[in-house]
Amino acid sequence: MAKAVRVSAKEKQDENRRRWGMVIDLDRCTGCQACVVACHAENNVPVVGEQEAARSHSMHWIRIERYWEGEYPNVKARFMPVLCQHCGEAPCEPVCPVFATYHTPEGLNAQVYNRCIGTRYCGSACPYKVRVFNWFRPDFPEPLEQQLNPDVSVRQRGIIEKCSFCVQRIRRVELDADASGREVEDGEVQPACVQSCPPSALIFGDLNDPESEASQLARSRRAFRLLDFLGTDPAVIYLKGGETNV
Amino acid sequence: MGKEISRRTFLKVAAGAATASGLIPQVRRIALEPFVRPPEEELPGRATWFASTCRQCPAGCGIIVRVINGRARKIEGNPNHPLNHGKLCARGQAGLQVLYNPDRLHNAVRQSGGRGSRIFSPIPWSEALDELTAALQSLRDPQALAVLAGQPSDHLYTILASFLEVVGAPPAVIFDLHTALDGRAECASLSSRWFGEHQLPIYDLAHAQVVFSFGANLLETWMSPVAQSVAYGQMRQSRLGGRGVFVQFEPRLSATGASADEWIPVPPGTEGIIALALGRIIVEENLGRAGKHSDHAHLYRNVSVADAAQACGLPVEELRRLAHLFAETDRPLAIPGGQLTGHTNSKQAMDAVMALNVIMRRLGRHGGVFTPQPVPAERFASPAPTSNLTEILDLVERMRSGDIEIFLIHGANPIYELPAWVGFKEALEEVPLVISFSPFVDETAVQADLILPDHTYLEGWGYQVVSPGADRPIISGQQPVTQPLHDTRSTADILLSLASRLGGAVARALPWEDEAGFLEESSAQLHDNSISTYDARTPAGFWSLWRQHGGWWSKRAIKREPEAVGMPKGAMAVPAAAFQGDKGTYPFHLMPYSSLTLSDGRGANQPWLQEAPDPMTTARWNTWIEINPESARSLAIKDNDMVRVTSAYGSLQAAVVVYPGIRPDTVAIPTGQGHSDYGRFATTRGANVMDLLTPSPAEQGNKFAFCATRVRIEKVGQVKPLARLEDLDGEGRESIR
Amino acid sequence: MSDREHMAGDSDVPEGQIELSEEYRERLLLAQRTDAEINAAVLRPMMETGPKFWITVAILSAIILWGLYAWGYMIYWGMGTAGINNPVYWGLFIATFVFWVGISHAGTMISAVLRIFKADWRRPITRGAEAMTAFALLMAGLYPFIHLGRVWKFYWMLPYPNNRFMWPNFQSPLMWDMVAIFTYLIGSSLYLYLALIPDMAMARDHSVGWRYKLYRTLALGWRGTEGEWHKLHRALNIFSVIIIPVFLSVHSIVAWDFAITLQPRWHSTIFAPYFIMGAVYSGLAALATILVIVRKSMRLEEFLRREHFDALGKLVMVAGLGWIYFWFAGFIVEWYGNDPVTRELIHDEVAGKLAPLFWLQMTANILPVIFLAFRKIRTNPKWLLGFTLLINVGMYTERVLIVVGNMQRNYLPFDWGTYKPTWVEISIVAMTFAGFILLYILFSRIVPYVPVWEIKEGRLRYSLRRIGRLWVPTAAEID
Repeated sequence: MAKAVRVSAKEKQDENRRRWGMVIDLDRCTGCQACVVACHAENNVPVVGEQEAARSHSMHWIRIERYWEGEYPNVKARFMPVLCQHCGEAPCEPVCPVFATYHTPEGLNAQVYNRCIGTRYCGSACPYKVRVFNWFRPDFPEPLEQQLNPDVSVRQRGIIEKCSFCVQRIRRVELDADASGREVEDGEVQPACVQSCPPSALIFGDLNDPESEASQLARSRRAFRLLDFLGTDPAVIYLKGGETNV
Repeated sequence: MGKEISRRTFLKVAAGAATASGLIPQVRRIALEPFVRPPEEELPGRATWFASTCRQCPAGCGIIVRVINGRARKIEGNPNHPLNHGKLCARGQAGLQVLYNPDRLHNAVRQSGGRGSRIFSPIPWSEALDELTAALQSLRDPQALAVLAGQPSDHLYTILASFLEVVGAPPAVIFDLHTALDGRAECASLSSRWFGEHQLPIYDLAHAQVVFSFGANLLETWMSPVAQSVAYGQMRQSRLGGRGVFVQFEPRLSATGASADEWIPVPPGTEGIIALALGRIIVEENLGRAGKHSDHAHLYRNVSVADAAQACGLPVEELRRLAHLFAETDRPLAIPGGQLTGHTNSKQAMDAVMALNVIMRRLGRHGGVFTPQPVPAERFASPAPTSNLTEILDLVERMRSGDIEIFLIHGANPIYELPAWVGFKEALEEVPLVISFSPFVDETAVQADLILPDHTYLEGWGYQVVSPGADRPIISGQQPVTQPLHDTRSTADILLSLASRLGGAVARALPWEDEAGFLEESSAQLHDNSISTYDARTPAGFWSLWRQHGGWWSKRAIKREPEAVGMPKGAMAVPAAAFQGDKGTYPFHLMPYSSLTLSDGRGANQPWLQEAPDPMTTARWNTWIEINPESARSLAIKDNDMVRVTSAYGSLQAAVVVYPGIRPDTVAIPTGQGHSDYGRFATTRGANVMDLLTPSPAEQGNKFAFCATRVRIEKVGQVKPLARLEDLDGEGRESIR
Repeated sequence: MSDREHMAGDSDVPEGQIELSEEYRERLLLAQRTDAEINAAVLRPMMETGPKFWITVAILSAIILWGLYAWGYMIYWGMGTAGINNPVYWGLFIATFVFWVGISHAGTMISAVLRIFKADWRRPITRGAEAMTAFALLMAGLYPFIHLGRVWKFYWMLPYPNNRFMWPNFQSPLMWDMVAIFTYLIGSSLYLYLALIPDMAMARDHSVGWRYKLYRTLALGWRGTEGEWHKLHRALNIFSVIIIPVFLSVHSIVAWDFAITLQPRWHSTIFAPYFIMGAVYSGLAALATILVIVRKSMRLEEFLRREHFDALGKLVMVAGLGWIYFWFAGFIVEWYGNDPVTRELIHDEVAGKLAPLFWLQMTANILPVIFLAFRKIRTNPKWLLGFTLLINVGMYTERVLIVVGNMQRNYLPFDWGTYKPTWVEISIVAMTFAGFILLYILFSRIVPYVPVWEIKEGRLRYSLRRIGRLWVPTAAEID
């Protein structure tokens, strides 16, 4: 009896379990890099400098890819922000020998910096190439270290890091909601990139909540997922540009 | 049994006896004093948010700053602010690196080794003020005092303006490259010419159905990019009535153009000609549902569509298609600005573009053109204007001829920002006393005798009347979010102390103790105003709400319908733009454009901005030159080749970006790099495109024609791999699937 | 051993009386030697070290020290001092790792497989081959450490109860890798050592000073009784059987490190056998290279004869044919599959940036197969040296192409990359090559390079016997 009750409670919990996800409306994205800088600021992402950036050692957790189509004069450029897709079937997770990357119950693909020993296997396995490695010691010349967000650890050289969907913000909101005995509302959690995005191209929310703005948009007929054919089940849903939803 | 005394009882009795006898120790209660006493508002480990105003560009977005343990940690948009609605651009986010920049000056300094020596010795503030006071007192003619300021905060401008007025000095020259590349002065002059308003017009991008932008990079740096981007997002997807169409007319595909549905690669300087042709077609064919166009027909009397088509290299059919696209919708909108203002014909071109809005009756309509409602208080009625090139050249001339004895410079870096031909640096050498208020040792500060560093905007007070505004009058309030990091002093406070030292009329005109006092008094002018979004019983309470909200704005949207009182009466004509340099020797048009991240170079000392890729080229940390693939092929140059770019005035070297989105007859170079001073992150990288600009012809002397230079390109033979995020082998493809 | 009789007389072989093939004549050379002469021939180059040897050791040590400095530099400043980047997270380090694991395969192949199949010609070369396995594996085993971003935390991969309350993730092929490589290293070291015991006893009996002490310890009190011999043979037979699946698993797992990812061209079922074949190919070629050099430098001409090079050359050729087959089987399917990313990768390899490396690989791997078909070339040490060296250049290039070439291209062209090794990687890679050679030549100076007891055992096989008045060449089966 007791066991049955417990199982059903667990099932109920599973049903109610959140899956954090992001919708990226490519029709709104202007490529303005606000998300990129916001992410650097929020997550203490180091800056590597010109020489290292030229050697593909830069560390942006989110990048805006720019694609060219056609040739002058009928040329078109499009933008696509790419960040960790927080795959449901993440190729990076099983390959880590020390469980530095794993899946949280809320659908985040989490990176535990303290466990990472730097095999870079996850980076090789990731088809989106969104995992970044600390090639060097992060350098914050004084007093730039005072800009660091105390909610996010500064990473050591030799480990992988990547977009966390601003897990520190998720936790803060969840704790605040818990403390005041209420549910987390839709739109309450805003990762730094979503918060800053001037044309509101990025929308964050619970994909398991059919009422959330993110899951409503995710059902749009413009929706697609990046490299969906790989079967990685990304939690980032893109909306095609150039056509209307309404 | 006899009476037993238990141990417990004994203790009770003993204690009672001791108390009664007064033997208990009498300890005074003394509060424990910690070694460090935190500020009262601080709870260790808890974040406090302060509302303020972003000063990374003149737009005046509202920000909130997350402060933990007394240190600012993150800047975000103020969600209640009606201009930017909680959003913020890359430059706004990077504001922390202005505050915590490792290359800031820590105190007032004298350049003890002489100007340009870069040998600084700290001086006490009292000494600096004494010296400044003495210099002002010994000034034989107040006209010999000159001030150049780069889009100052409005409170500083107000204090500065009254100071200069009362000492009898000429008004400050207001110039910075960022607003110059926006064409702010041109846009303001358009507004005053047409609508009799000195405030900039507001374009209701969010509700327009078809937007034609002529040269304005409104999603990057132009005017109020965050507000415009918010509106762009709404125009695209979040409104009933369908997705707006956006067409960009410019010779080089900017990031804004990339977001547009169509990019029309017009030859440089023909934007206005196209606008005229479109107008002519609309009037002639009586397109649209806005009524008869016969009353505007006279404007287009002298316009030949065929000639225009030839001038801009587009077929007549294409012009007709565009005219139909524009006119056959309910809410079209034409926006002039940016690169269009960098041509010699910009005045007529802007008229031609604005006329499109008039013939389609877009003035004061939903999704059209508005003028802002002024803030209903006298103190806020005259925000800082923008000077045109004539005023700057005039100032330089006076400096050169030795008429200026004291030169004060605040918030601008003219030696870097002005084209080299202006000769600002040489002129500055003729001034006996140069004082800079820059928090950083930039190119101009290096030529100063004294540097009296101002606070950065996160440490200082201020307000800004937002212009171009949003849908309502807004004052963005600025307040310190953290204690000043270094021994810096607000320039407004310096002016106020100078006033009290000078005494007399000056002291009476500027009676405030400090800038905060000035602000408090200014805010009181709006106390008890009926349109205010908040109100308090007392002015003091009002001021605290002001600080809490991060400024003042009206409850409801108030916009005004502009009246085209000053619109051209006769037939309009846009002359061909004039260019500097012979077409044979200098085959390419040069388009200097404002870098999205570094803007006019003021962002170059912020590593986050240096590291953020340019959206189109994905290049970082350096200067590049964009060349059409076809032109590159004919010159046998490839990506990353170093080339020498030479104009009739100067030359520079830059790495090549082969860029599919630029006309074959045009090359483009972003601003922002090539600093010789300005800190470790800015120096020793790239080149300054301003070194190439060639003086405008004499008859257009009052015009900053930054797009009117022609250049030639030669291969140097070196290769400089640019730090591009994109892999060049990928050829810009999205997916190879 | 010494008490064994041998069949042919010392000096009474009737030269010229009968027609003997060149090969048989060579085989008989040893048959004419006494035990003492064989012992001396093996021990002499061990004991005598000339200035050339010490110069070589000095140069190799210098390279190793420089490599260690580079490694320390990289640990101190960060992996970014190497040329690896995003997306080429694995560079020369992993390519060289695969190369060394590959080299390590021939030792077991020769020794265990040939032992099981009783291929008699294996006898003089088994030790050299087994030593190659052990040292190549040692060098390969360095790379997982070199390649770790936080090498000081390497022990987090080991399964032991810890304060993190975590076992390692046995789902990760890196764990399989670690287990397989350690098993193989331990197995092949034991295998090497077992076969070494009788020779250690022999060396013990012929040496003084520190060598005596060393050999006495290593000989484990071997006396050569019938019981000891019996046990040794049994142990060797068991090891031979057990080590073969281990050897197959090691390179399969190395292949799966790549094949289990979604990276096109890595994600292929043929990768494991292809890797094994490549490993055997490069390992056998490396063994031939080494034998030619050792034969010359240690004057072991009597032991390492034409028949060995002939047989080895044949094996190399067969392995080469196998490698070509597997390469082609993988390539043709991918090429016809015409998957867009694979197409890009193949194009980049065959005609793009990587074309010089690709064609070097193809030439260096296919050309020797053709030439080694000729007995004259196989049995000519110089030619053999040249071609086997070429094969290893080719196989090294192949590893680089597999690891680096494929990582430069992926599904999103925006994120492609280019890899260029820096001095750090080159120094560290050079360090392991120098380390391998140094270990090998030190080993050959401490341990009898030729397994004396096996030779003596094998010597029984060929002899001239007198039947009536005729001398008849005979060959016998030895078990």
